[in-house]
Amino acid sequence: MLLTANSRRDLDIHRYPAPLYVIAPTVALVLQALLPRFMGRFAYFDLPLIVTIYFALGRRSPIQGMFMGGFLGLFEDALTHRAIGINGIAKTIAGYLAASVGIRIDVQNTAIRLMLNFVLSLLCTAIDFFINRVLLGLDLHWNWLNMLFQAIGNSAIALVVFPLLDRFQQRD
Amino acid sequence: MESFFARYRNVLVLLALLVAQIIGLAMQVRRTDSGRVSLDPTDSSGVRLIRLWANAIVSPPERAVQSSKTGVGSLWENYIDLRRVREQNKDLQSTIDRLRLEQAALLEDARQGQRLQAMMNFEQKYLYKTLPAQVIGTSGSDLSRVFYLDKGKNDGLARDMAVVTAEGIVGKVREVFPHSAQVLAINDESSGAGVILETTRTRGILRGNVDGQPQIVGILADQRIQPGEKVLTAGGDEIFPRGLPVGVVEKVVRDPDRDAFINVIVKPAAQLDRLDEVMVITATEPRFSPQQRQDLATSEALKGAEAAELAEKKKASEIMAERLPGLTDPNAPAAKPAEKGPNGAPVAPTTTIPKIIPPQHPDRFTPGNAEQPEGAAPSHTAPPKASELQAPANKPPEMKDAAPGSPDTHRPSPKPAKQPPPPTPQREP
Repeated sequence: MLLTANSRRDLDIHRYPAPLYVIAPTVALVLQALLPRFMGRFAYFDLPLIVTIYFALGRRSPIQGMFMGGFLGLFEDALTHRAIGINGIAKTIAGYLAASVGIRIDVQNTAIRLMLNFVLSLLCTAIDFFINRVLLGLDLHWNWLNMLFQAIGNSAIALVVFPLLDRFQQRD
Repeated sequence: MESFFARYRNVLVLLALLVAQIIGLAMQVRRTDSGRVSLDPTDSSGVRLIRLWANAIVSPPERAVQSSKTGVGSLWENYIDLRRVREQNKDLQSTIDRLRLEQAALLEDARQGQRLQAMMNFEQKYLYKTLPAQVIGTSGSDLSRVFYLDKGKNDGLARDMAVVTAEGIVGKVREVFPHSAQVLAINDESSGAGVILETTRTRGILRGNVDGQPQIVGILADQRIQPGEKVLTAGGDEIFPRGLPVGVVEKVVRDPDRDAFINVIVKPAAQLDRLDEVMVITATEPRFSPQQRQDLATSEALKGAEAAELAEKKKASEIMAERLPGLTDPNAPAAKPAEKGPNGAPVAPTTTIPKIIPPQHPDRFTPGNAEQPEGAAPSHTAPPKASELQAPANKPPEMKDAAPGSPDTHRPSPKPAKQPPPPTPQREP
């Protein structure tokens, strides 16, 4: 039987305990702020982005994905000394795209998860670059090699984090 | 219409969220005088509130992690890692002995440095009040090299305080919250610190590059700058006191934007990637002992008395110069400072007027030869004695009242003296 987009969406929406929607993003934010202390320059990851992508894919709701991504991005911006909103915009778009893609593809496939994280990480970096250089006109230098490493790191970490969060999935 | 919103609900929500955030971004940037766009260094109240909330959420878990790490570390050190304690103790004892000797030598050097510093510039500050703090978190982004301390406004921290370690400078306090503070590291692209190279005395501004390495920018190409040279704070930025170690020159690269300039990559003295405990310089007031303070006060008082005495002497000499303009010989060497009298009061220097050579053929116009009316005081025209021409220091008003034709009108002038008029033939009576 051929599944339409809506029927697939209805069948595959994942549900999680309510506290997880608070705890997982908070833990991601705290770890993101804490781990670079011990890893120094080699902290090539963005845990809030991974959590955003995971819940957007699992819930398959673009609006939920956008709000979660926007909230986590704004929170990340608030911890830096940069303008608040740069990460917010990037992760809002990432949440929207992840949820939109999640409706159409099998999100349980490991290769697809890996690819999605890699592409969305690069996309977030590109949006970040665009906002800084074009929208804000800031003279900010970039190291694209670091961005590539971050995309690879995000994909590798997602391979661990996604199955971990899958364990909290509620099944009917 | 309803179907339109239902159909495009997701896209509309996306647009609304993006527009809201873009407007928020636009409110945080400003155009500088040079026409460039930059982020407002001082956050608005709304932005600051958001940062405060974020910090309030993240800080407690970070503190808890830090505490547990300390607790576990303490447990490990005290109970588990007891192997080879005896050998370590022996090694440590020898190290302590060596360090004591070094400390004594360093202490003597420090005392000598303090004395020299006090002589050269009394107001130079070189001992500072510091507050130890613990690094509890970072921004989590390699585009924003900031970190958080476990001390805040309630502990006495304020914006723009310097943050250092024993090895070197680390950054400056950018934002303070009640119980924590945000520090902008020196390897961030938006940071800036005035530095000087120790040997070549080249000054520049230190800021981070895209790779997170501090570099000195805006330096003209100089062959003398070599790797290994020490970099110190210059002290002109009003944040870092001068003379603090920054690091050493790692390499020199050409400025990609300007041909004649170079960028000096600095290897920071402090481990900026692995910071744990830091010190915040809360005040740059010197910490002298009571005895030192007393000595300084005495020295200052003596210096004040000497200055007052010098000023008084200078004033007296100026008065004398004003009242005796013709006595000033422009070709004469600089006047000696006023000498001190027996009572300690300044005494004006004694000036002797050179004697007037008597004319070979005096006539009635010759001073002293004019016929005197009866009853007139001969002293008005009589040639003065040398002793009378000595300007008394304590009687200047008399000199001012001297009549024309009196001896003071014949004082030697810097200009060539006029020839005396030819003698007028006297008529026989």
